[in-house]
Amino acid sequence: MQFRLLAFAPALLAAAGCLHFDTLEEPVKVATHAKDWREAVIYQVLIDRFDDGDDGNNYLLDRENMARYHGGDWIGLENRLDYILELGVNTLWISPVIKNIETDANVDGYHGYWAVDLTQPNAHFGNLDDLRSLVQAAHERDMLVVIDIVANHMGQLFFYDMNLNGVPDILLQGTGTRPQGTPVPPGFDQSGFTHITEYDPDFNPGGVQAFTSLGPAGPAPIIFPFDPKSGHVTPMPAIFQNPDVYNRKGRTFNYDDPQQLLTGDFPGGLKDVNTTRCDVKQAFVDSYARWIELTDADGFRIDTVKHVEREFWRYFTQRVRQRLAARGKHKFFMFGEAFDGRDELVGSFTKNDLPSDEELARENSCDDGPELTGDQLDSAFYFPQHYQVFRDVFQDAASTDRIANLWANKTVNYGTVAPADSAGVAPHKVLVNFIDNHDVARFLYFARARVDADPAFAGKSLRDKELRLRAMLQNALLMLMTAEGIPCLYYGTELEYRGGNDPSNREDMWRPYPYLGDTAAPPAFDTTGPTFVFTKKLIEMRKKLAALRRGDTTVVWSTSRTGDESDAGIFAFERAGGEAGGNYALVVFNTNQHHDSRTAFDGTTMTTSAPAGAVLVDVLDGNKQYTVGAGGALDLTLPPVSGMLLVPQQDV
Amino acid sequence: MRRDLRPVLSLAVAFLGAAVSPAAAAQSPPAPPTTSQPTASTPPVTPEPTEAVPADSPTEVATEPEPAPDGPDEATPREAPPPAPVPEPAVKPDKKPAARGPHPHDPNSPPGLADGFHFGSYGRVIAGGDAAGRAGRNGDIVARGSRLDEANYAELELRREDYWKSTGAYTRIVATTAFANPIFHYNGQFAAALAIRNLYLEVRNAGLKGLSFWAGARMYRGDDIYLLDFWPLDNLNTVGGGVGYTFKTGTELKFHAGLNQPTDPYYRQTILRPPTYNQFGQAEVAILDRQKLVSSVKLSHVWPIGASGGVKGILYGELHYVPEGQREVENKVYEQVPKDKGFVGGAQISAFTGKRSTYVNLTARFASGLAAYGELNAPRQLRPDRLTTGAYEMLVTLSGNWERGPFGLLMGSYYRQFRNASRTLDWDDLNEGIVIVRPQVWFAKIAGVALEASYQAQQRGVATEAEPDLFKPVFAQMGRFGLIPFITPGGPGAFQRPHIRLIYLLTVRDAAARSFYPADDKFARRGVDHFIGVGAEWWFGSTSYFR
Repeated sequence: MQFRLLAFAPALLAAAGCLHFDTLEEPVKVATHAKDWREAVIYQVLIDRFDDGDDGNNYLLDRENMARYHGGDWIGLENRLDYILELGVNTLWISPVIKNIETDANVDGYHGYWAVDLTQPNAHFGNLDDLRSLVQAAHERDMLVVIDIVANHMGQLFFYDMNLNGVPDILLQGTGTRPQGTPVPPGFDQSGFTHITEYDPDFNPGGVQAFTSLGPAGPAPIIFPFDPKSGHVTPMPAIFQNPDVYNRKGRTFNYDDPQQLLTGDFPGGLKDVNTTRCDVKQAFVDSYARWIELTDADGFRIDTVKHVEREFWRYFTQRVRQRLAARGKHKFFMFGEAFDGRDELVGSFTKNDLPSDEELARENSCDDGPELTGDQLDSAFYFPQHYQVFRDVFQDAASTDRIANLWANKTVNYGTVAPADSAGVAPHKVLVNFIDNHDVARFLYFARARVDADPAFAGKSLRDKELRLRAMLQNALLMLMTAEGIPCLYYGTELEYRGGNDPSNREDMWRPYPYLGDTAAPPAFDTTGPTFVFTKKLIEMRKKLAALRRGDTTVVWSTSRTGDESDAGIFAFERAGGEAGGNYALVVFNTNQHHDSRTAFDGTTMTTSAPAGAVLVDVLDGNKQYTVGAGGALDLTLPPVSGMLLVPQQDV
Repeated sequence: MRRDLRPVLSLAVAFLGAAVSPAAAAQSPPAPPTTSQPTASTPPVTPEPTEAVPADSPTEVATEPEPAPDGPDEATPREAPPPAPVPEPAVKPDKKPAARGPHPHDPNSPPGLADGFHFGSYGRVIAGGDAAGRAGRNGDIVARGSRLDEANYAELELRREDYWKSTGAYTRIVATTAFANPIFHYNGQFAAALAIRNLYLEVRNAGLKGLSFWAGARMYRGDDIYLLDFWPLDNLNTVGGGVGYTFKTGTELKFHAGLNQPTDPYYRQTILRPPTYNQFGQAEVAILDRQKLVSSVKLSHVWPIGASGGVKGILYGELHYVPEGQREVENKVYEQVPKDKGFVGGAQISAFTGKRSTYVNLTARFASGLAAYGELNAPRQLRPDRLTTGAYEMLVTLSGNWERGPFGLLMGSYYRQFRNASRTLDWDDLNEGIVIVRPQVWFAKIAGVALEASYQAQQRGVATEAEPDLFKPVFAQMGRFGLIPFITPGGPGAFQRPHIRLIYLLTVRDAAARSFYPADDKFARRGVDHFIGVGAEWWFGSTSYFR
């Protein structure tokens, strides 16, 4: 009898097998979470360096080596959302999510920019559930999530078999000790050695060539090494297994050469993809739009846009918008990174200039979708401002008129019409402002060099120097949070992180520096540090004052003077009008590093649009009051390296 | 007063059979040796002659404790040299062993104590492969599946047993070597995978009747599920010592504690340092060198029912503990690793008729923290604070055997959940289970045919795209069907060995099961697989599968 009942066992087993796994088993409901991207305050997170929330994905970590995986993951970030929320940030920009080459030349793909499989998540960061959980947790906190993507290149997928021996050859030749001042031999760099690698040979417009001891041997074949341990596995989707989709011309070394810029491999052996091919365009749209459909994330930060043809961006951005809109996600935000100080170049990816009819017809031949227009990206990562404002003015005390000049060209160099189905704001109004990021040294790194070299600080204590550094950083933060556009804060800035160039600027959040002027490190994720508190206050004011988010910008004082003049280093601008209603804010800086400066020079005083008699208070200095004089005149004196955020008394 | 409870027992057996549920398995401990039937209890030591029992007599029943032999010889002066062992009293060899009664090679009984050297063994050897001639390999997807395609394995046990007249104590020294695959005649390599699996001394009636001690390295375990090669409740491989006491009621209480250090950086890290006093070369220094303490306690009792049946109950617990330590993360930079712990709680209820090895066992076991990973494993996928808190293994098993006339039916099953300590679901987080049955028929006293069927399923914590945009934890299923004609020189009986047998095993795996294997693995490609082999299995005179 009892054994007859065993017949039920499989059914019981099946039922038991369906016991609940705590996982997201429902399709993601894609929805529009963004309202107005001008409300956003972005926090850029290098996932591997933020927090380790899951030991389960810790594979081959080397936390003492900045070029290797450190163990941060999506769960770690999710666990720290309340820390980020405490700061006031409402948008996350996270590292690329897709599977990377594991390691190459003893450097890991911890940053996420070495794609090998666009269909799979980077297992170091977690699994799809973890990513979905992160996005969901962010949305529950009214935070948006922007995913980093790359369409210019894949990882180090193959090598050029230039000597036709079937193995990747790497050669270092020379002594490395060329006497200073001697001419550089052809093929050698400044240190006197030549570096030849079949993974990353120099650009050749005719394609990388093979050679033997007898001479040229035609185009070098490419070989995809297969080594699962180092992550050199079969690229996906399958189109990226086809050698023809790669330009195969070698490494870009002259960025001013358009051909190299667009078709050369990215330094490091990152293989350039022929992004003019229809099948490549479609593959990137399918691959990356899918991640949004799977996670309900809200935007893309797009890497290396200047290395890709504009026809690709027209196709990619429009098809992504159309596809996501059909799924219910509107106001999807895409901003591109052109690591370049040339404003016109950076802005060109946000304009909707139409190509020729012939060109447009060719581009439209890729598919049966809606006719392509001139629309491109929603915004750009404002690199020109990084150089001309945060580096030149806030670090190096250059004249402030360059800020005014730069801003004056926004409507010239950047798109002035929002793309269809886009975030809905003209690109020039939603440029992504940043002080620093993962590709440049942190602000404090070069600021320290500046202070160390300043004769005024000769003989001063380390603490004095570091307090000056803090003032410089906080002045830059004031600019970041009040300038028109979307502020983007690189993780750790609020804790006064100060690493140098990549990878030193990619520190672990769980191992903070001592605060400037201190010797002992605070606890990880401390929310009581002076710059955290200062940043938090700035974000609070930005949220409170519509003028700082949606107001137009009017520069009311800038100067070319940087010496002993009374207004040297002064820069002031108003945020008002536009869609800010009657809200008003006046931001004033003294970027001069040696003396007090005034908003007046040679008998001329700064005039504002505030009415005479209006009382403005500096919310950063105990609500100290200032009364606007006749004609809007306002004569303010600021100590060196300081700023004011003035708002009408009634708005405080 | 003892009532005849056989009807009640039948009901209990029926009930347990009805309650069959997906079974569970331990988390892939090192493949232990197989065992024979689950014994209801280890019979207490008896210096009395082992009486021949009639055919079909129970071998699981706990016998009443025997009167202790004479106590320590008080006349022996303390300074006197240790008394020499003398032959165990009153052990009389069976002159005429019954056809199925215990005899020196009875596979159903643990060997009794007898002075002198003794030899025992378990072994299985198989030659086989798939239909294409490829080498055979274990094809189960669950941690404990069919043993028909298990690899070669053998234990050779040598014992020395003595009765010490002066103290009345019995001692048993057990040394068991185990050999794992491969073997010389297969690969031509003159080498062996060899392990010492028992090396201990046990003292019984140590000053007090029913009191026993042991120390050394020991396989320390209870009842198994033969078809799955699995000891679900207690199966420790330990180096340590223990104490046990058998009450007059037959209740048995055992406690043990042992230490181990699995080869893993979790337990031990060595670094190189210059030798002292300017000596040449380098010295290896253990920075992290922590051991794991594993202790267990087990309380068991048998309630006799009728002439031969009974019900056995077991309560079981384990404590696992590792102290904190320090590890070097780079030269002269150290980090603390925290102490950790884990617990096991479990129970078993068994019913047996005492006839022809008919029984049913139901066990439930829950392991948490460090204990969830098993006694010889290093924990993986920890919490961010490097603790195992939150890891668990839940296990429920049901197994049994029934024989009547020339027919028999052996079954096993389990359901198991394992979660590691990391929050996220991943490959190692799983639900799994198996039901396996082996009906068999014996004929001509020396031969038989068995069929074996199993259904196994496993749900892993990795998501797979069940349909567009819908991801679910992958759920794999597998069916296996075997035909096993065998020769059984010892006669009929599910646990009668030795056997020589032919094996045909058909495996059907679904797409999800195939997805568990990497690309180009045959199991990833084949939905249907065949295994054909010939092999032998034996056990006799060994203690390891009765403790």
